[in-house]
Amino acid sequence: MFRKFAVIFVLLLFLTAALTGCGTLGRANKIASISLWHNYGGQLKETMDSMIDEFNETVGLEEGIIINVTSISGSASIHEKLLMAANRDPGAPSLPDITTAYPKTAFMLAEKGLLADLSRLFSQEELSAYVLAFLQEGLLDNKLYVFPTAKSTEVLFLNKTIFDRFAKDTGVTVNDLQTFEGIKRAADLYYKWSGGKMFFMADSLFNLTLNCYRQFGESFILADSLNLQSPVFKKVWDVYFKPAVLGHTAIFDGYATDLARTGDIICSVGSTAGISFFSSTVTYPDNTSETVDWTVLPYPVFEGGGKAVVQRGAGMSIIKSGPETEKKAAVFLEWFTRPENNIRFVASTGYLPVTKEAFNQIMHGEYEADDDKISELRNITKAMQEGYEFYIPPVVEGLDGLQSQYESSFRAAAANASAAYIKSNDPEAVESIVENAYNEFVQNMTAVAGAD
Amino acid sequence: MAIRLSLFLAVLVVTIIIGVLIVLVMTGTLTAGLTNNESIIARHLNDISRNIAQEYGRLAVETINFPKELSHSIDEYVAQYGIAAAEIVDHPELLEDIISHAFEKVKLFLLTAKASGSFIILDATINPRLPGSENSRAGLYLKNMEPNIISASSPNITVFQGFPSVGRSNSLSLHSQWRLEFDITSAENYKNTIATAAANPNTSLSRLYYWSTLTLPQTSEKIMVCMAPLLDAGGRVYGVCGLEISEMLFKMSFMPNDPTFKRMFSALVPVSGETMELSAAMIAGGYSVRSITKDNITRISPIKRCALQLYRTDSQDSFIGLDTTVNMYPNNSVYADNQWAVAIFVPEEDIITSVIRLNHNLFGLLLLLFLFGILFSLLLSNKYLEPIQKGLALAKSVDHNNAPQTKVPEIDELIQFLNRHHKEIYEKALQKDLSFAILDEFIEKTKTLSPAERKVFNLYVKGCKAREIADKLFLSINTIKTHTKHIFVKLDIASRKELNLYIRMLKEIGKEINT
Repeated sequence: MFRKFAVIFVLLLFLTAALTGCGTLGRANKIASISLWHNYGGQLKETMDSMIDEFNETVGLEEGIIINVTSISGSASIHEKLLMAANRDPGAPSLPDITTAYPKTAFMLAEKGLLADLSRLFSQEELSAYVLAFLQEGLLDNKLYVFPTAKSTEVLFLNKTIFDRFAKDTGVTVNDLQTFEGIKRAADLYYKWSGGKMFFMADSLFNLTLNCYRQFGESFILADSLNLQSPVFKKVWDVYFKPAVLGHTAIFDGYATDLARTGDIICSVGSTAGISFFSSTVTYPDNTSETVDWTVLPYPVFEGGGKAVVQRGAGMSIIKSGPETEKKAAVFLEWFTRPENNIRFVASTGYLPVTKEAFNQIMHGEYEADDDKISELRNITKAMQEGYEFYIPPVVEGLDGLQSQYESSFRAAAANASAAYIKSNDPEAVESIVENAYNEFVQNMTAVAGAD
Repeated sequence: MAIRLSLFLAVLVVTIIIGVLIVLVMTGTLTAGLTNNESIIARHLNDISRNIAQEYGRLAVETINFPKELSHSIDEYVAQYGIAAAEIVDHPELLEDIISHAFEKVKLFLLTAKASGSFIILDATINPRLPGSENSRAGLYLKNMEPNIISASSPNITVFQGFPSVGRSNSLSLHSQWRLEFDITSAENYKNTIATAAANPNTSLSRLYYWSTLTLPQTSEKIMVCMAPLLDAGGRVYGVCGLEISEMLFKMSFMPNDPTFKRMFSALVPVSGETMELSAAMIAGGYSVRSITKDNITRISPIKRCALQLYRTDSQDSFIGLDTTVNMYPNNSVYADNQWAVAIFVPEEDIITSVIRLNHNLFGLLLLLFLFGILFSLLLSNKYLEPIQKGLALAKSVDHNNAPQTKVPEIDELIQFLNRHHKEIYEKALQKDLSFAILDEFIEKTKTLSPAERKVFNLYVKGCKAREIADKLFLSINTIKTHTKHIFVKLDIASRKELNLYIRMLKEIGKEINT
């Protein structure tokens, strides 16, 4: 009898637990707010906002996840904020649950034990859907710290409206821009044609140098220093530093799009993601403006070098918190990079999708871009896929500092040399000024690396 | 008996449960979830409205000081050209220098006010000859992209509008949506501030600053600006300046972070009667509410039994929350009629879910109590009846003398009573001289019965009546009566009653009647 009653009692307990327990009401109570920092500004912000809304209202609602964007800023700014937060600087914000991060930032955080290993959060089958090279960029010690979300590479942007006027008068053609030496010559002609305006700028002097070395089969980054002793560095100096001293190319601590808006340059190399930042209006100092067309060309090569260019684009990292939060953050990353969503995200941008399926769709032209400019960019990147080597720069300790030091020193050296050249009032003095600057720069940078 | 007892106990359990429910209803426990939610929302409203009042008050003070300092500086600067600030409009060639001169102050107020943007707009344009120049204004708009970081090594400031040379000479990049001049075609706040200042001469700047929300031109970013007129030494209006709070800064500063209601959000919103203009509100919440921000939201009705309000948007989305007015202007400001409120909203379904969840648990516990009560009733009645049933079985037995003690005193008493009763009968029998010898003689006499009479006698011994005996033996009642008469004669008894007495006494003393 007792046994019978015990069985009934246990059944009653189960019944009551089922009635009062964690059904849909219980799940609703376990909503997790996942904070997100990203660097998708400008037009991308709108796309990102609407996708996050969609996630929150669909998958997020089902899984009890709310993505909450708490910072939108440039990648350099996010890098600085992450450093501050990781070092617990006074006034630093708390680390988010998900952040966009370049490998160099992510690996710095990983070394402090702040990042979750994403290979624990995704099965091998899930990861096999992504382009292997994109995954490898985020690997450190066989742990995946950067999840690929959208990738980019570098191309040449050209203000075709102004260039066509210039080309018509000078005979320079677009083909001349296939090499950096050709760009240098065009810049010289443009300076004269435009009455002293600059022609060209590289968004990242560091990447320009990286690409130059790679094109000649060398590495600019050594174990803990920069390979400035190589004769390859002289090529960078010749095609960029010397024109900069002469005022043909820009030395500017900012993006080329800034100078392009005011017509101060008409040609630049930079990330494909930058295409949406090239304004179709050039405004001049007297507030007159003109509508311009921008075109995209393959990344130039150094004469005698091979076709190689860096693979760029930040991914997303999950900050270590707890298994539950990390899992929910991973749900968002998985959703965000599903082929249909990934394509939607990159449709209006210069980014490339990261899953094999979406990548192939884009490369095979199965998906129409939102506008002609993006469509043209797609065609160029597709053509580059066939002839270029896309390589991942090595990440070494202290690279961030070396990169900053290199670029700021390069700019300072160019500014000083330019001032010296103007002061000399002697066109023939440029060679010696550039040569001296070269020797001084190599010596100083070597000393910096040695001091480190 | 067991079923009746169980039912009785079950009725008791049900009565108790009903009683508990009545107490819960009368004490308001069933609506406690709502009361609890009210206190959560009220707490957030209190905190956020207080913070908003403080922060916006501070920004208003900075906005009042901003034009004072700028005007003083610009007045001095343009004086070297022999003109007043209000005459800048006639000297576009000076604009770049004037703005460059103003840069440090614009940047200083941006950083000290902890705003996301600061701007100066002069009522003048670089190139008055250009078509559309009547709606183009020169100035400078700086945006701090990370205003919530107080110790960044270098603030992330960009030039949103203004001369690129100003940005470049100060190592600031241009905003991705940079423009050289401001387009005031639809800048009602600019026109309003200029016109109101012109219409109210000799009015203190503290009565002329103006709050408004707008979407930052060429972007999708919503901002709120506090704008004040620039007045030259002669009191003439020659532009505006102000501070900006971006939606992100507002969100980071005033977002309610509630563990229960993740979709809760706060809003600083213009109010007109019962309607709040969400499209002109600053909203801070973890959950995206962008889809409803094009709507108005209206107070529909108070929620029963608490102070919470039901609100509904034009799209019929329902929210529950609280709001309180916040003073954005001093009483005698020219904009004093503009009412603003701070509100905390939670989607109605979240509140309902929360209340249901609490009551769900309560009802679950009551159900558990009920089921446990019923089970306990069954168990208890069985346990209680077990010794009683055993005792009754003992009472039915013949041998009361050797009956063991039960655990029920009443049953023991009953058995003792029956034992005494039988003894009394026996003693009565003795008093009628019915000794054992008489009983033995009676047994001997039964041996004289014929087989037919014997069959009838045996059935009498078993307790049958004459009619039953006739049915069992398939004989007529008269035949049975005849056999009975013969039995009485042979046994020397006079009646059935006497016969039964003999039979019972023989049973009681354990004598067997050979049937």
